[in-house]
Amino acid sequence: MTHDVIRHLLDDYVTGELTEDARALVADHVATCAICAAEVESLNRIIARAAELPKSIDPPAEAWSNIRAAIERDKEAVTAHRVSAGVWRRPYMLAAAAVLLVILSSGATAIYMRGRTSGGDSSRSATLNAGNGATPASLAAFTIEENNYLRNVAVLQDLLDQQEASLAPETVAQLKASLRTIDEAILEARNALARDPANKMLIEMLSGTYRQKVDLLRRTAEMTRGS
Amino acid sequence: MSAVVSDSIGPNPSTMGEEKAAALDSIRRAQSGDVDAFELLYREYAGRVYALCLRLKGGDSADATDLMQDVFVKAWRRLETFRGDCAFSSWLHRLAVNTMLENVRSDIRRIARVLPMDDTSRLAGAARSSGIDLKMDMEDAIASLPRGARLAFVLHDVEGYQHQEIAEQLSVSVGTVKAQLHRARRLLRERLER
Repeated sequence: MTHDVIRHLLDDYVTGELTEDARALVADHVATCAICAAEVESLNRIIARAAELPKSIDPPAEAWSNIRAAIERDKEAVTAHRVSAGVWRRPYMLAAAAVLLVILSSGATAIYMRGRTSGGDSSRSATLNAGNGATPASLAAFTIEENNYLRNVAVLQDLLDQQEASLAPETVAQLKASLRTIDEAILEARNALARDPANKMLIEMLSGTYRQKVDLLRRTAEMTRGS
Repeated sequence: MSAVVSDSIGPNPSTMGEEKAAALDSIRRAQSGDVDAFELLYREYAGRVYALCLRLKGGDSADATDLMQDVFVKAWRRLETFRGDCAFSSWLHRLAVNTMLENVRSDIRRIARVLPMDDTSRLAGAARSSGIDLKMDMEDAIASLPRGARLAFVLHDVEGYQHQEIAEQLSVSVGTVKAQLHRARRLLRERLER
């Protein structure tokens, strides 16, 4: 083999990734070629230095608390979903639900409509915030608002669960797919917010996504009532 | 925090049977929803995952922290899918590389942030902020590599992955991995030995 061919094999030669025959050929050449010998020596130094690099570096101390906060939110979301999905399937709960739904859904709709009529554009102004309907300015304010959203989403979700039989199967499938998309967006925004709690754009985005979910549920609930 | 596992976290696949009993217990408890058990796993593996993230991110400690947090949150969500076909550490490493690649694909702006070889201004700052006090010149040089060359070098020469494994993770050919690795070593030699 020529010098130019051998040079292209030096990387594999130093890491022991050549066949025995090829390795012997390269070794013979390196023994007589000062250029290749110097390159082998240089490659070995680089590889040795890479191997000496620390394998473990302590991450910032706050990283775990951010991760744990995201995990706890995941757990709460899963628990809330299971509770809302399961409790209304119990027959004795259905009668109570009928009464509760009238009271709560009326309240949710009233709050929703108050935000809707005060703003104009439905998707942007529709809010279930019990306060002034504006996007919260801080994470603390948003946390309070988020609880309102979650309560009202639960009310509307339960209402829809009761009325699901009156919807076409393809409509139900579409609704569930849309809700999954929105829930994923909420989860992503929530995780981003955990990493950057002061980011007002994220708070606004998350509030908007919740409004979108409430709006979708409300429209569907109205559709079922009208059908 | 007590160490759960003390053996290697490297890429060479090993079965779940090789994980120590304490780690297996933590994995099983975490799979059933025990966050405290997951914290034990975090405490054991975070240093290795963070080192990988830091190098994949070219020494940017803020990006590396974000990536590591994403990796562990994803690990929690996907823990049920871990069946012990490989070591938990290998599973985490793969998750880190995949998450990093997903981030790159989803945000093209990140590609534009790759530094040219002659731009050393950010490297010193990245090195200082990373808190590494060993082999800084080597870390700087790795951080300065073009992204493809850096990925190949970190995964092969630092982490010990095989060409084929890297090719699969990066969705490129083995030849491309070798070419990037050759390029990385050549650039490092130029930078470190000139």
